This record gives sequence, C-alpha cells and structure tokens, in this order.
Amino acid sequence: MLQEIDANVFTQMIRAGAVKLNSHVEEVNALNVFPVPDGDTGTNMNLTLTSGVREMEKKAASSSHVGTLAQALSKGLLMGARGNSGVILSQLFRGFGKAAADHETLTARSFAEALKRGVETAYKAVIKPVEGTVLTVSREAADKGVLRSRQTEDITVVMEAVLTEARTALEKTPELLPVLAKADVVDAGGHGLVLIYEGFLAALTGEEISYTPKNETKKPAQQLETLGEIAHRRSAQSRFDPAAIEHGYCTEFIVQLSERGGKTFEEERFRSEIGRYGDSLLVVADDDLVKVHIHAEHPGETLNYAQKYGSLTRIKIENMREQHSAILENAPADPSPAEVDPKEEPAEKKPYGIVTVAVGDGLTDIFGSLGVDVVIQGGQTMNPSTEEILQAIDGIGADHVIVLPNNKNIIMTAEQVVDLVEVPVTVLPTRTIPQGLSALLSFNPEETPESNRERMMESASSVQSGEVTYAVRDSQYEGGQIQEGDFLGIREGEIQTVGGSLMATSRGLLAKMLEDGADVTTVLYGRDVTDAQVKELTDFLKRNYPEVECEVHYGGQPLYYFIFSVE
Amino acid sequence: MAKVQVITDSTADIPKDLVEKLGITLVPLKVHLEGQSYLDGVTIEPQEFYRKLAESEEMPTTSQPSPVDFVEAYREAAKDGETDIISIHLSSSFSGTYQSALLAQSMVEDEFKVTVIDSKTASYAIGMIVVEVAKAAQAGHSLDECVAVANRMIEEEQVYFLVDTLEYLQKGGRIGKASAMVGSLLNIKPILSIDREGVIFPIDKVRGKNKANTRIIELLKQNTVSDRSYRAGILYTDNREEAEKWAERLQENIPSLEETVFAEIGPVIGSHVGPGTVAVVLAPVQE
Repeated sequence: MLQEIDANVFTQMIRAGAVKLNSHVEEVNALNVFPVPDGDTGTNMNLTLTSGVREMEKKAASSSHVGTLAQALSKGLLMGARGNSGVILSQLFRGFGKAAADHETLTARSFAEALKRGVETAYKAVIKPVEGTVLTVSREAADKGVLRSRQTEDITVVMEAVLTEARTALEKTPELLPVLAKADVVDAGGHGLVLIYEGFLAALTGEEISYTPKNETKKPAQQLETLGEIAHRRSAQSRFDPAAIEHGYCTEFIVQLSERGGKTFEEERFRSEIGRYGDSLLVVADDDLVKVHIHAEHPGETLNYAQKYGSLTRIKIENMREQHSAILENAPADPSPAEVDPKEEPAEKKPYGIVTVAVGDGLTDIFGSLGVDVVIQGGQTMNPSTEEILQAIDGIGADHVIVLPNNKNIIMTAEQVVDLVEVPVTVLPTRTIPQGLSALLSFNPEETPESNRERMMESASSVQSGEVTYAVRDSQYEGGQIQEGDFLGIREGEIQTVGGSLMATSRGLLAKMLEDGADVTTVLYGRDVTDAQVKELTDFLKRNYPEVECEVHYGGQPLYYFIFSVE
Repeated sequence: MAKVQVITDSTADIPKDLVEKLGITLVPLKVHLEGQSYLDGVTIEPQEFYRKLAESEEMPTTSQPSPVDFVEAYREAAKDGETDIISIHLSSSFSGTYQSALLAQSMVEDEFKVTVIDSKTASYAIGMIVVEVAKAAQAGHSLDECVAVANRMIEEEQVYFLVDTLEYLQKGGRIGKASAMVGSLLNIKPILSIDREGVIFPIDKVRGKNKANTRIIELLKQNTVSDRSYRAGILYTDNREEAEKWAERLQENIPSLEETVFAEIGPVIGSHVGPGTVAVVLAPVQE
C-alpha cells in the first residue's frame, strides 16, 4: 500500500499525466463544440502542461521536496497557460501547489486536500464559472477524493476514486451544458483532465509510461534571457548611443534564497535597495528564486548585496561599452516576431500601450495602422500563452497597457496576466477581430483607462462580426447536417449558413448580417481567397446593397476565408 | 456716440453679399501655389483655386497679412475720426494673423482705438461671429455691446467638420490633436472640431461617411436646447451638392432653425483642409 507521495512519485505522476494527455491531444481537440478550425482545447492544455512539466524538471534534480516541485509546476503552468482550458488547468495546479507548499511528501489526505484547494482556486479565477465544464469535473473528483481519503491512507485507492468520479462527472457534462448535448460531445477540458488523472493513476500502479513530449511547438522561454531582452528593449537609447551608457555592466543572476534570506526577503525593499546600484532594473521573485537583471557600474557591489539573501547562480556579467558595436550589428536581426513595427522606443514612457492578438500579415498591418504597439500572432487556431502576452506588455514600456484578445478563448489568458505584471493592464474582452478594430476607433490617449474601457467596449458592441471557414468534421447544427469540408458562415459565434460553395455561403452570411440595414460593411479577406472571389463578393455587395458603404482589405488570415464587419 | 466698424480677414469666408450688405472690411491673407501668389478672395476665387489645386502636384502654402496691411485698413476705417474698430480674426493657433493685427493695433493706438479679438476658430465659424457683430454695429450698438456679442458667439458656437483626407491638415501643420489618426488603413472619418484654445481635435472617429453624418447630427442635437432658435452655417469646398444635403438634414433635425447660410471655404482655409471638406456651424440666435 502506497501511503506517501514523495518527490520521485510526484514527478512520475506529473510526467505520466503529461504523457497521457500528450498522446490523446487529437482526441480532445475533436471534442470542439463547433466543427471549426478553432483554438483547440487539447493542444492548449497540452502546451500548458508541457510548460509546467518543464519548470518542474528544472527543480527535479536538485529538490526532493514535493511542495517545491508542485510550486515549480504551478509557475510553469501559469506562464504557459493558453486558452480557457489551459488557464483553468493552471489555476487547478496553482491551488494544489499552494496547499502542498510546505509538504515534503504528501499523504492520501493532504493530496486530496490539495486537489480540493486547486478546485477552489480555479473557481475563484473564473469570473462566471460554468457548470458542465472542466470545473465541474475537477470539483466532483476532488470532493470524492477528500471523502475517500478519510476512509483510507492508500493513495492509489484515493486516486482511483478521483479518476472514477472524474469520468462519471465528465459523462454528465452534456446534461449540464446544453451546447454539449446539441453537439453530442462531452466537455473537452474535462476530458483532458480525466486523461491527466489517468496518467497519475498509471504512475501509482506502476504502469509503464515514458515521457517523450512530441507535440512541442514552442521553444522553452528562458526566463532569465527574457528578462534581459525586455530590459534592453526598454533602454533602446543606451543601445544606440555609447556615450549615454552610464552603467556599463549588464548584470544578470538568480538568487536562490537561503532559509534566512527567504524570511527577510521583501520584493519591494529588495527592488528599491538593489536599484541604487544601477538602472534598467528588473526583478522577478518566485518563491525561493529571485531573478535579477540590472545595468550597474560596479556589478560586484550588486552581487554582494544580493548574496545576503542566498546563494547566486547563473551569474552573467557583460561589458556593454565593449559590446556596443556588436549589439548594433545584431540589433536589427532580432526583433520579436510579434512586433508590428519595431520602431525605436521613445525615451519617455508613453501613457498607453496597446497589445492585440491576430493572425495574418494584412490584419497585423491594419492593427498597426490603428496605433497597436504589438500584434501577437495568434487567434483562432493558436491561442497565445500567458507568457507571450506578458512579454508583449512588458516590452512596450507604457504607463498603462490595453489588451484586446479578439477571441473568446484568449480573454481569460489575458486577464490572468493582469496580476503578473507591474504595469496596470486593462483587458477589453473583445471576442472577434471586427470588435477589436471597432474598439480601437474609440481609443483616446488623453482619456482615463476607465473612460477608454467604456468607450471602446461600447464601440466593440456596436459591430456585428461574421466569418467564413470550413468544417473540420461531420456535425450538425440547427439548420441540419454539416459535412466535413462544408463551408460555414458564422455570425457572433453561431453557425448561420452551411454549404458546398464558398461564395454562396459567404453571400448568404452577408445577407443575414445586412438584413436590418447598415452603414458600413468591411470585408477582410484571408490568404486562401482569390482576387476573383474578392471581386465577386464586392460586386455582390455593391449591386444588392448600394446604400451600404463597402470597404475591402487584405487580412491574410489562414483558414478563415472572409471576416465581415457590419456596423 | 462713435459708430463701430467691423474688420475681419479673408479666412472668415463670409459670402460676398453679406460682406457688402453689412459693410464689413476684409483684409486678405495670401495663398501660394506653384510659384504664384494670390490675394485670398481678391485675385483668386474659391472654385478657380480648387481647380488649380486638383491639377497641382504641390501642396499650397499660405501667409498672413502684414501689420501694415492692417494699419492701412484701420486708418481707412477711422478716417472720419469718430469710428471705433473691432477686428476679429482667425484662431491664433492656426495663423499669425491675429498677432499681425495686434501689432497693427499698437502702431495706431495713439491715434484711435482698435479692439482685436481672437475668434479661436476658422472659416465661417469666424464669419458667423463677424456677421452678428456687424448686425449689432449696424443697429447702432456701442463698441462694448459689439464686443459682448462677439464673446457670446465665441462661447456658444459649435463647429464640426469632415475632411476627405487628413493629409492637408497634416502637411500644413494644423492637425492638432487629430494627428494620431493619420496613416490608418481603414477608411476612418474623423469628426473634427475646434476646442476653446482654438486647436483642432477629433471629437469622434467613425467608419465611413454615412456614420459620420449621423454622428454629427447626434452631436448637434445633444448641444441644442428646445427653447432657443438657431442659425446655421454650412461650409463647403468643391462640393456644393453635399452642402445642399446638409441643409436638408439640418432642416429635418433641428426644428428651431431660423436661418442657414451657405459659405464657400476660401483658398486659404481650403489649402489647409483640402477639397471635399464640409463643415457645419451652429449657434443660438442672440436674444
């Protein structure tokens, strides 16, 4: 009988959970309610968990403390979270990590309590919790686990109870969420969680599972290097003018807080005290690790100061005056791919920065022309992670940053970033590209954030959004059957027209959107559309709706042939 | 009691018949296009100017009247020895015209009295002020009363304008707070107004002309009260038809509209807003 989860068992459970999920990604993706090429739940959860495992692995060699590993896992999940299901998963393990923090090993009881704590954290993180989702599955499973842990000390038995209850709850999700019943699927996020729990149990029962992530699409973001990049982007001036370099050494290191250091460490005080040694300061504190980036004239003093709090690792000191010419040569080659327009940063902080999410070169240009600082490449099919949004915000160096997610599946990730950055951030819950574009028109840099939020959301809600894509599998909708490959006309997230002809489906959708008349219709055409098709649609609009002003732009987005904005 | 003579500059864009009827004195600014200099409204008329502008590859430039131009106008008006002069001009934030008039005033202050007023606005938004002041002067009101009319008009007037492109405002350096909107790939129609400091600012941004028109009407209605009657000015460039449509819209939406004046935007203001511009000025009728 297994009565204790030690560091070894814990890492094996997490690894096994990740492997199990990883090998069933497509299965989870297929549970999408709409058969559209959309932000896929399985992919999102998998990338999120992969990021968590990566952080955990960094600690696994040096730590035999379950709490420490769980915290590392939590941190990695948080930074890697993408999509709503990814965000919820990260919150489940954040609560788990907090509950486990002081435990070197876990008993059946403390394990179940930690699961329960995760559920509470996740519910709190979601503004309007919806039952019939991964939340319900996690809650019922954890409740069962807690109950069982009062009867037995056998961790395997408790885990079995958790898994069985998770499966039962999953089967019931269509009863709670009509949209699932209509599409004849169970909740995708819930299914993902069941897979992770299956992995946990397999690890406990000794089933053979090897950890070979294959679905990784993103390189691990090296925290420390990221810090440096952000800091250097902020101080663009010193890069271009060697005479302006006041503090000559770029100094980066990590403080591994000692027991005493951990007790006396206060982030604010640390920041202000170490800040006296130089500029371009960035400090990221995470439990017992403090990552520091500073430009100092006397790096030794900085290290002496930091060493009071614990041991130093990954120390990197570079002479920036010497490096200067080399940096100049390299600089143009390394702009972040997310940047629209890598214009030079003004020395003065600007009052507002705007970050948005879109995919397609045309859309990126349009957003850029409306004053957006960073267009994160992503959207329907690729939801950006917390970390990507965080980096975009940090890189701007504005007093206040407005984030327009333009997708229902990115809103939560964006909202999660609010607590992780020092800059005040306003997330406007725009759900579509047209909403994002429309919101930007009402942005006024001279207004307060509150007033901008109100004006921009009002503007976003005044526009109708439509999009034309294709079905990735057979399905049905209220009007009848959908065959794989059919074209789908979607308005405000609802399928309106279905057909075998792209143009007929597009015209049908436009006709519905224009039923009640409009002032302006904007057509944003994707990269898979021909000029002739664009012309055909434009002629259709001019002929049938002569009183409506029509504007056509190249969006360059994949998978979505047309995006329509009617206002 | 001394009579009051009203002097303004050519950027007030007052229709010629009103200028004559009310005996207003105009001091012209100058406009330069393709190496030629013209006196605004004297040696070049608006429609001729817009025709030349359409054919020109260059952007036009403009220049203010010299202090001497004003001194001459002031001396001419004051020669009977019993006239007070009120001199109302283009917003000092757009042009040195007001500054030039102030200098002229100081050059003649030992001889007679000139009151120089910064209208904080442009085109027929100045014109409407000047016309009301001239009517008061013609009715025999004193200088102080005329100044009070001017100040009330400046206070109560509202002006909205739509430019076809922000290019002219930008190149001429008069874009004010609307600069953020230059370069947008979407067809954004900024609804521009002039603030109390006489600086252009975008009051709203909308997509397309239909919405812009609807929004201007909304703004006008928001800022009118039912127990007062109003007079309107419709300002246009090379687009008289658009102005006629605006007159209809105003008739439909502002029930207490007493009078509508069509004013052609002259070459100097036209140089800065560009062809295709249309604007609406509205002010309550003074009790």
